Parts: sequence; C-alpha cells; structure tokens
Amino acid sequence: MTKKNLTPEERARHKRERLSHIRRDWQLYVMLLFPVLLVVFFNYAAYPGMRLVFMDYKPARGYAGSEWVGLEMFRKVFSEKEFQKSLITSIFFNLADLAITFPMPVILALMLNELRYARFKKVSQTILYLPHFLSWPIIGSLAYIMFKPTTGLVNMALMNLGIIQKGIPFLTDKWHWAVTYLLVGVWQTMGWGTIIYLAAITGINGELYEASMIDGANRWQRMWHITLPGIRPTIVTLLIMNIGKVMGSNFERLTSFGNSQVRDYYYQLAVYIYQKGLANSQFSKATAVGVFQSLVGLLLVLLADRIAKKLGEDGLL
Amino acid sequence: MKKRMMKRLLALALTGVMTGGALAGCGEAQAPAQAPADAPAAEAPAAEEKTDEEKTAEIAETVEVAAEAGIPGYTPFAESVELRIPVYDRGAEGVPDVSDNYWTKWLQENFGDQYNIKMTFVPITRSDVMTDYSLLAAGQQLPTFLMEYDFPKQAQWAADGYLVEYDLNEFAQVAPTYYQKMVDNNQLGYTQLNGKTYFALAERPYYNTNYTWVEFVRQDWLEQVGYDHIPYTNSDEWFDAMKKIQEAGLAEHPAGGQMIDGLGSDQNYGFRTYPMNEEEWAMYGDYSIVSLGWEPNKNLLRMENKKYNLGLLDPEYYMTDGETAKANFINGKSYSYAQYIPSTVSDVVESLYALNPDAKVAVHVQETEADATSGTVPALRSNNPFGMMISFSSQASEDQIKAAWMYMEWMIQEENLFNFQWGLEGEHYKLNDKNLPESVCALTDQPVEHRQGFNYNKDYWCVAIEARNAGTIEDVIAAAVPNTDHIPAETIEQFKKDIIQTYYNQVAISEKGWVPVDCMFATTIDSVGEYQETLKDLYKTYRDEIVMTGEDNFDSLYDQRAQEYADAGYQAIADERLEALKSGMSSKLGN
Repeated sequence: MTKKNLTPEERARHKRERLSHIRRDWQLYVMLLFPVLLVVFFNYAAYPGMRLVFMDYKPARGYAGSEWVGLEMFRKVFSEKEFQKSLITSIFFNLADLAITFPMPVILALMLNELRYARFKKVSQTILYLPHFLSWPIIGSLAYIMFKPTTGLVNMALMNLGIIQKGIPFLTDKWHWAVTYLLVGVWQTMGWGTIIYLAAITGINGELYEASMIDGANRWQRMWHITLPGIRPTIVTLLIMNIGKVMGSNFERLTSFGNSQVRDYYYQLAVYIYQKGLANSQFSKATAVGVFQSLVGLLLVLLADRIAKKLGEDGLL
Repeated sequence: MKKRMMKRLLALALTGVMTGGALAGCGEAQAPAQAPADAPAAEAPAAEEKTDEEKTAEIAETVEVAAEAGIPGYTPFAESVELRIPVYDRGAEGVPDVSDNYWTKWLQENFGDQYNIKMTFVPITRSDVMTDYSLLAAGQQLPTFLMEYDFPKQAQWAADGYLVEYDLNEFAQVAPTYYQKMVDNNQLGYTQLNGKTYFALAERPYYNTNYTWVEFVRQDWLEQVGYDHIPYTNSDEWFDAMKKIQEAGLAEHPAGGQMIDGLGSDQNYGFRTYPMNEEEWAMYGDYSIVSLGWEPNKNLLRMENKKYNLGLLDPEYYMTDGETAKANFINGKSYSYAQYIPSTVSDVVESLYALNPDAKVAVHVQETEADATSGTVPALRSNNPFGMMISFSSQASEDQIKAAWMYMEWMIQEENLFNFQWGLEGEHYKLNDKNLPESVCALTDQPVEHRQGFNYNKDYWCVAIEARNAGTIEDVIAAAVPNTDHIPAETIEQFKKDIIQTYYNQVAISEKGWVPVDCMFATTIDSVGEYQETLKDLYKTYRDEIVMTGEDNFDSLYDQRAQEYADAGYQAIADERLEALKSGMSSKLGN
C-alpha cells in the first residue's frame, strides 16, 4: 500500500508511532546528532570552499581578494610533468595494492574461521590486529631498521648465515622498494581487514555446514561452496569501495618509506599535493588535484557498482 | 529511575562534548584592521646602486622620533590584546615545550601583564617553516609578526599577502631603541621590498664570520695515524689521513655523512673562483636552492663522489638523519661533527667524552690559505648583515601590531635581554672577575623547572639580537663554551682558544673577499615560489645518485641531471634573478 492510499486514521497512527519511537529512543537520536553534524560541517559546509579551484587563491587575501582564473589551475596541473608522473605512479601502486592487499583479509578470515582451538584463534586474531594500531612513521622506522642494505637486521642475518654476499636493497632499489612497500602494507592491514569478513561468516546458516558434512564435503569444499558464497556480497561491497581509492594516496605511508633513491616511486599524488599545495602555498593547485581525485574516485565507484549489478550482485548503491 | 536519568544525562553530556569539540575550530577569526599587502609592484624605484649606508641614511632622514617615545610612553591596552609570537620548534631533546615553559610565563609576567597583552607562543617547525606558516595563514591564525632568517621566504610571504606594510615613523615612536639599532647597523636599506616597507631587522654581531659553527674532529685518531695537525678538509693530506684511519680500523667509514635536507645543503663557497662573476653570483650564488649545474657545485659533488667510491663515506649516508649522524660521532664511528657551539660542546663532545674518556677531540681551526691539492679556498657564506627579519601579519589588528612593536622594544632593552639570555644568577650563570656573565653549566644540565629553551632561549630573544654579546669577542666565545662534567678543563680552554682563532681567521678571509653575502632581491622572484620545493626534492635524488655513481660515469650523469634540473624550474629561477639584477632590483656583489 502506497503512502497516497493511506487513510487519515492510518496516517495519524504512523505519526504517533514515529513520535513514540523518538520519545523512546531519544538518547540514540541525540548520539546520532554528532556524526550528522560532522558530515554537515566537514563535508557539505566545505563545498563552497571548493570554489578556490577556480581562483589563484591566496590565504591572506581570502576568497574576495583572490583572482578568479576559471579552469586555469586544472590546465596548469595537467600540463605539469611532475603531476603526470605522480598520477601514473599513484594509479600503478594503488592497483597493485588492490590486487595484493584486498584478497589477503578474505583468505586470512577463511583460515581463521577454520581454526579449531578457540583460544589459539583469539590470540592469533589479536596478534594480527596489532599492526593496524601502529602509525606509518613507526612502521617506516621499523622497516628501515630491518631492511637497510648493510646494517639492516634482515640483511645482516642473511649475510651472517652465508645466504647472501651483499645486502638486498629492500628500500633503496626501486623495484625492491615497491615490493617491500606493498608487502608491508599487506602486513599492516590484513589482520584488521578480517573483522568484517569474520562477522559476515558468523551470519552464515550453520545448518548448511552440517548438511554438507553429512553429504561428505571436506573443508576445502565447505569453504569454496558455502563460506565464500556466503560472504560474497560483503566482498563485492568492499571491493567497490576500494576501487574508489584507486586515485587515493597515503602521504604518511609514502613519506615514512621514502628516500632519495626511490623518488620515482614514492612521488605520488599525496606528495605532489603536499609539496605544491602546502609547502609552496599553492592551495588552488592542490585543491584542483584533490577535486580531480575525488571525481575520478566517484566515477570508478559508480562504474564498479554498475558492473557488479550487471553480474547479478546487489551492488552498493 | 535515578540511574536511568543519570544514564540519559551522561549520554547527553557526552554528545554535547563530542559535538562541541568537533566544531571548536569552526569559529571565525578576528577580522584584520588593516588591508593585506598588495602584490609586488614591478615599477618600484631602483635605488640599489646606492650603498647600504646611503640607503639607510636616506630612509632615516625622513623619520623623526618624539622626545617621549618608547617604553616611558606605554600604557596598558584598554582591552586585552593577543600577541601571537612565533617560536621555532626544533624537536631538540632536553629542552622544554617551546610554547609553555618557565620563560614564556616569565615573559607574560614581566611584559604581557604590564600592558594587558596576552602572549601566545606559536610553535613553528624549524625544518618546515613554509608549510607551517601557510597552514597558519589558511586558518587565519598567523602570528602577529613573522620571523625568518632567509630573505626569499619573507619575499614569498609578501607576494602571498601574508604581510602588511608598516610606517617607519610610527615604528620609531613605539620602538625608538630598536629603530636606532637598525640605523646604527645600516639596516634600513633592507626594510623594503618592491619599494614598500615590510621588514624590521634584528642585530647580528660579527655577521661576516661564522665562528659559532664549529667542526670538532678526533685528534686522537689523527695522532694514531701519524698526524700532529688537522689536515685541510678535502686536501690530499685529508684523504691520506682518512685512508689511514680506515686501515688502522679506527672507523669503517671515517667521513661518515648524512642525508641532506635541501635548504643550505652542499654550500659550494670553497669551490668558487674569486673574485666571482656578478651575474653568476646573482643567478646561482644563493644557498637556499642548490645550484646543480654550476661548476662549483660540480666540483663539490666530484669530491663527494671520490669519498664515496673510496669507501670513506658511509654507504648508507643518504638514509642517515642528523640525530644518527650525531650518534655516530659520539659512538666513535666518524671522524668529525659540526654544529653550533653551545649544543655541540654540551650535547655531543661531552657525550663522547663520557663514553670514551680517553678520546681527544679538537676544534678544526679555520684555514686562511687556499689549498692547491683540492683546488679549493677556505671560503664560507657570510650571514646577512642582519639577524632575524621581522615582518608583520596582514591578519593582525593595529593594536596587535603595536603590541608586537612594544615587545620588540622591551626585549631589546639591555636589562631584559640580559635576564632572558643568561637566566638566573647562580643557577644558570655567574659573573666572572671582569663582571661579565658566564654560563655555569650546559643547557641540558640546568634544573628542569627553570631550564632555558634551545640555545639559551635564543629562539625567543632572536627578535632583538642574534648572539649573546657581553664584552669582547674573546669574552663572548668564552661564555659560549660552558664547562662540563666530562670534558677536561684544559680541553675546554683549548676549545675556547681555537674558536677565538677561528674567528680571527674568518675575519682575515673575509678581508680577502672569500666570505661573500648572497645576492638579495628587492623584488619577488616568482619562480622561486613556484619551483623551489620541487627542486629541493629533486636535488636530493639527483645528488645522491651522482655521488654514488662510478667515477667514470660522473661527468655524463652530472650533465644529464643538471639539464633535467634546469628544465624542472632552475633555469627559470636563474633567468628571473638575472633580470632582477640587470634591472637594478637586487644587491650588488661586494656591497
């Protein structure tokens, strides 16, 4: 029955119910106020500020005193070699990150789910979550202590064991750096990423497993035919959201791992924005790149959602 | 029932706190009473053919100071005025919080409270000044006055509208002592940019020397390998000594090394040909953007390349930060370490002696003659003829700027400056037999509750002067080298003698023309703002690549990277600087 077909009595009853819900749960609504205000102020209220992409904005002169330059900032940014390089590198690394980092929590969640001993499972989970709570500068420092070419612990150990003669340039050669950077990213995120999948796994009907065991299905078959399909909607949703990050860039992570020998790879969009936007006070240029990143990210999410729906999934939107 | 009500109230209160906290930064900043500085005007008069003295005299003629000007005429503001004071945060260990410590409270009590001024100290990250100021500007939170040693940074702020012009006449009425110091030091010619008055200048005694920067070396190592003197850095003798130190197993990589940070890196004054060509000096001579592609830079990097290929430099030097390099010297892994004197003596040399009481450390005394074997001269960069450059925020109100002038005038008064520089008698200093102050202990040995800030509070009193300056140069140097627990007293005495000798040797090389002042531009060089951060970053990559390449590949790689560097913006900067020189909008070589 649509809203239009409701009788006046039914409408009055619905209104009373809504009011009674508000009276009953007013604490929850008050708490909801906080995130709502955050979104309003820091997302919607920031929108008028985006006009500075069309200006040669000088903070001390404000919007009124800054010159209106139309699309000039976009033209300038796109014509800069440094931007082009940082864009290509960002996309490359984010795609690699997606390909390597995204499946790992799924695999790990499946493995954790198969552990028999509850205590061991809990301890493992806690240990796996820990890296998430370390900041990138700390992880970067640890990585340097571990992986320096001659004084890093790993290289020293390998050399002392006679396995290698010369230190492996984990952080000083571009390709080695790329692999180290991506793998440390996997280590930092995979444990925390399992939480959502493990929650989704608990929602799968236990009778399915019982029935499959009676039919003689082994562990692999149960994982493949029951667990994975059970968490597929969650995987798709998170994949769509992660595809939106392909244009993103993590400044802290990059600068924590960067050094002069790997500039070609660590000079990604976040570093470009920092150098141009903050250090050089070119806020308009930095905002232009930020807007470009957001728009492309949005388009990618919409595209991924459309494809997912075409393939029969629920999608995100 | 009560419990339930309490829960509700608690939920409401928590939500209120969270919401309030999250939105705390959304208030509107105080509107400035003055208009921001205009963009630089290209048609500013070209008065640069005159000497600094002539320019100072010309400007000073137009200023008249009233009889009752200065502190006697000060009255408290009717309403509290916030004075926002920038302070460098150097991330140094063992010093108190720069924005809240005994001495900031001392300033509030002795100056702020007298005139109804609320003093807020704004930390500025020393290694990232431009970013901090740009974030503060964007948040309408600029300090009331902006301080920097480098002229190009101030020029950039003027171009970005951070600065407001000020009237020297009004300044002289509020701060007559400060103004007179500027006149006495021939500084008024530096107050202007594009024909507009933006800057006040602090005093820098002995500006054409750099005696506070001291290189300490391992004398015991030199003696062990047969040297009874300190060899000239980069000379054949120096390379010989380093190889012998290495072969004797005293240090694996005696030349050590650390990553460069861009600004002021790879200073090539010793590799230049004197007298310099004026156009080259203007285009490439500035130290803030390294001159990759200029012959002196190439010669400097060739020397570094040689050190690297001989294994004298630490192969991981480009991943070694300043603190690690310091630790390497303390731990006996490198031959030398250079830093400003009070910190070097108290933090570095003392720690080294504490770890290794048998060590012998000596000051590398400034040479005065050129070295034929390395093709270098003992040249160094002259400081500017002024200390801190002080400009005033376009976001500040008139009262705030007046409070800043009052603060500058108050700080420059002898008594106030003395108290702030030297601290508490008995605890921080004592008067010697000449009735001059001498530090009684190193900064980090001062009692925690009264401990001074970095370099004996310098980041506060630099608004007035650049060095503690009591008595003759010998007295000043003696006072800057404190006695410490672990360094033998005779060694400290020898340090003092050698640093004094370094000062006189630097005066001597200055007279030979080997201590040039960098070119200063009276107009904003726009391309500097556009490209300098990118160039800074690129230089780190290129120079390390050049230093670590094989000697056979050096020339071709250097030329290739120099071209890329020029294309990335350095050529645009050089061209703009040359144009400014030719149009008379810069200082002249030798002035």
